[in-house]
Amino acid sequence: MATNPMHQFQVHRIGPEIKIVGIDLSFTNASLFMLFSAISICVLLFFGTKEKRIIPHKFQLISELFYNFIAKMISDTAGSKAKPYFPFIFSLFMFVLFCNMLGMLPYSFTVTSHIIVTLIMAIFIFIAVTVIGFLKHGLGYLKLFVPSGVPIVLLPLITVIEIISYLSRPVSLSVRLFANMMAGHTMLKVFGGFVISLGMLGGWLPLGFSVALTGLEILVAFLQAYVFAILTCIYLNDALNLHH
Amino acid sequence: MVNHNNFKTRLKIAKEKLKNSSKNLDNAGNSSSMGSAFKLSTDLVAHVAVGTIIGFILDNWFDTKPWLIIIFFFLGSVAGILNVIKTAKLMQEKD
Repeated sequence: MATNPMHQFQVHRIGPEIKIVGIDLSFTNASLFMLFSAISICVLLFFGTKEKRIIPHKFQLISELFYNFIAKMISDTAGSKAKPYFPFIFSLFMFVLFCNMLGMLPYSFTVTSHIIVTLIMAIFIFIAVTVIGFLKHGLGYLKLFVPSGVPIVLLPLITVIEIISYLSRPVSLSVRLFANMMAGHTMLKVFGGFVISLGMLGGWLPLGFSVALTGLEILVAFLQAYVFAILTCIYLNDALNLHH
Repeated sequence: MVNHNNFKTRLKIAKEKLKNSSKNLDNAGNSSSMGSAFKLSTDLVAHVAVGTIIGFILDNWFDTKPWLIIIFFFLGSVAGILNVIKTAKLMQEKD
């Protein structure tokens, strides 16, 4: 059981079973780790903004770093029109980042390694961006599917292709995060299992591999949160400044 | 605290400076190239998958079993490749 690499992804109930109108709403280890990451974000930002100093203390430094990072990313990719959406993208980035990073702790659970979590976030972004696009441009938003400068003969084909590429946004957004997190954690566990089964004689090589993989996974955890946030910015940019 | 008072005036000055300059953040594009590599690879797969799924659903609707799924599989592949070319062109423009 302990060496089964997929065992770490199992969701199990903590505490009593809660059922409302036939839907299982029990508190699970996934909800526990979502709560953990939300609480740690709140604690970090609360202590980071409580007192302002010229020479910042550590918490202030970290929260200012995150703020600048996201603010710069939004203004670079989506322009000044996207400023009102800063809170949404900031909380999205922080939540994904903290879920990924908490998953790197031993004995913890990676919330983002479940496709249902990432798919819900991606579908929410997809619907929100579509609604924003229609609110800002009305039916003119449909111009996104009809690029200019295309010969009439090719137009139906191109439109179908554009629609496919629009619909594939939530899929690629969610699958990227989920697949990276799950593959990485499975790999870590597999190499950990090799260390035990090869013992003192041959276990040193996989041990070295898992040390290197842990470093790689921390990079991937940050990178995937960054990619998730920057793609949200890019989609928002399409909805706000129609330039097809 | 002397430091604190000093800080408040400094903050005020900084805020006024921000108000005066319309664009406060310089754009030194420093997006990670590994991030765009991840984006390109999954985009290509997702387009093909979504195209095939659309073909499958339309096939069930119109009862044209094998044809639409084949057509939409290729359309999805075309969409994926076009999207990769588009993203690559954007990346080249940035440099």
